[in-house]
Amino acid sequence: MQADGRVILNNVTVRYGRRIALEAVSGEFPAGSLTAVVGANGAGKSTLLAAIAGVVRLAGGTVNCAARQRLAYLPQLAAIDCDYPLTVAELIALGGWREFGAFRSPGAALRARAAAAAETVGLAGRLGRPIGEISVGELQRALFARLAVQDAAVILLDEPFAAIDAQTLPVLLDQVTRWHREGRTVIAVVHDLDLVQDRFPLTLVLAQRCIAWGATETALPAMAA
Amino acid sequence: MSLHTLIIEPFATLAFMRAALVACLALALMNGAVGTLLVLRRMSLDGEVLSHAVMPGAAVGFLYAGPSPLWLSLGGLASGLAVAALGGLITRGGARRDAALVAFYLVALSLGVLLVAWRGSNVDVMRVLFGTVLAIDRRALLEIAAVSSIIVLVIAAFYRPLAIGAIDPGFLRAVGARAPYGALFSTLVVLALVASFQAFGTLLAVGPMLLPAAAARCWGLGAAMSMALATGFAFAASVAGLLLSYYVNLPSGPAIVLAAGLLFGISLAAANVLRRLAPIIGRNV
Repeated sequence: MQADGRVILNNVTVRYGRRIALEAVSGEFPAGSLTAVVGANGAGKSTLLAAIAGVVRLAGGTVNCAARQRLAYLPQLAAIDCDYPLTVAELIALGGWREFGAFRSPGAALRARAAAAAETVGLAGRLGRPIGEISVGELQRALFARLAVQDAAVILLDEPFAAIDAQTLPVLLDQVTRWHREGRTVIAVVHDLDLVQDRFPLTLVLAQRCIAWGATETALPAMAA
Repeated sequence: MSLHTLIIEPFATLAFMRAALVACLALALMNGAVGTLLVLRRMSLDGEVLSHAVMPGAAVGFLYAGPSPLWLSLGGLASGLAVAALGGLITRGGARRDAALVAFYLVALSLGVLLVAWRGSNVDVMRVLFGTVLAIDRRALLEIAAVSSIIVLVIAAFYRPLAIGAIDPGFLRAVGARAPYGALFSTLVVLALVASFQAFGTLLAVGPMLLPAAAARCWGLGAAMSMALATGFAFAASVAGLLLSYYVNLPSGPAIVLAAGLLFGISLAAANVLRRLAPIIGRNV
């Protein structure tokens, strides 16, 4: 996992129409690193994650990610349709989609893994609930559990802690720390700078361009400037 | 009058009622599944638009070969698929999707009516708009049954990606399921609408598809059970509508859609009552 978890950006540029969202960003997320991406609104943070995940077209440059097949991406919360009749257990088990594919149902081993992942984020008692009947925080926990089931080498989190209640935040942070300890590369867009200071060893400061990138204590002050 | 004479006899004695009943059953089997996916994927408006998109092509088929079910279906299939493809392009182009869809709907409907009226009579126009479920012949019945079977089999095979694509399409793409399931589903919808076209016409075809599915979704079931219930509702509405049209001498297509609408109303009311009772009986609905 260590060897292929690197993500190398080379002059990455993204445009939406005429507007430049991201301009000539270059650098490397080392394998197994834990990086916070910070910046003002519209600084291109979400765009950067989307570019790494390969869901937006690059106007220039390259993203080099050997683990593309083992990359997990959690976009901002609004994308999930909570009216859909799906239980928490089923949502989490979707993380194993690559293993069971379009035509088979998740096997017993995968369901056990999903249940275990639910337990670590404190959702063991919620497995049978429809996703429309759980709170926003619980839904985010379930999505984290789904990421855990995906067993990815590179994990991209787009504002995973926005609008999250005080009970859920430590659970999610512990999960991020666990991923870091397991040697996975984690890149998260975070707004709370104190959180970045406390929990993230590396920081990338964006304002369309790369303003600062490196150890949090040296890079983060660029955010205030 | 016994229940038997009231409900069974019209179908037992009249061949056209029997054919209509069998056609409705075949359509209900596919409509339950297709309609539920339409509702889950929030594509009701797409379904409505595609049902009118069938119209100009069917009209061209009519001009070419008269009221032959085969040519009506082939023409309808062609224009339906063309509009489905165009609709996909529009969404990618970023235009206002709802406005564009409604524009399609109006243009297709007007074009179709003009084409039919050009060579045909008013009766022909009415037939294309509202269908003739009581005039289904053996050949049309076979066509409906065949299309319905194919659709049910395809949905059974691709059930998982078709259903999951509704909740979180970005996730499906991110985990590498990049097959064009959206296009596959649009094709299924167009096929289903073409099969319903003769029975219900271009204005009503989407009714027996959407209404039972929307009614079934009120009961808080999972996707698969919802499909089964929608199929049941569609069939019940067909029987009720056919009997109503028989006894009161009303057009049967609208009677069936109205019966389905009634089921939707009842389901909505029941869901409302159940939601209010939920805190009292201690169960979540």
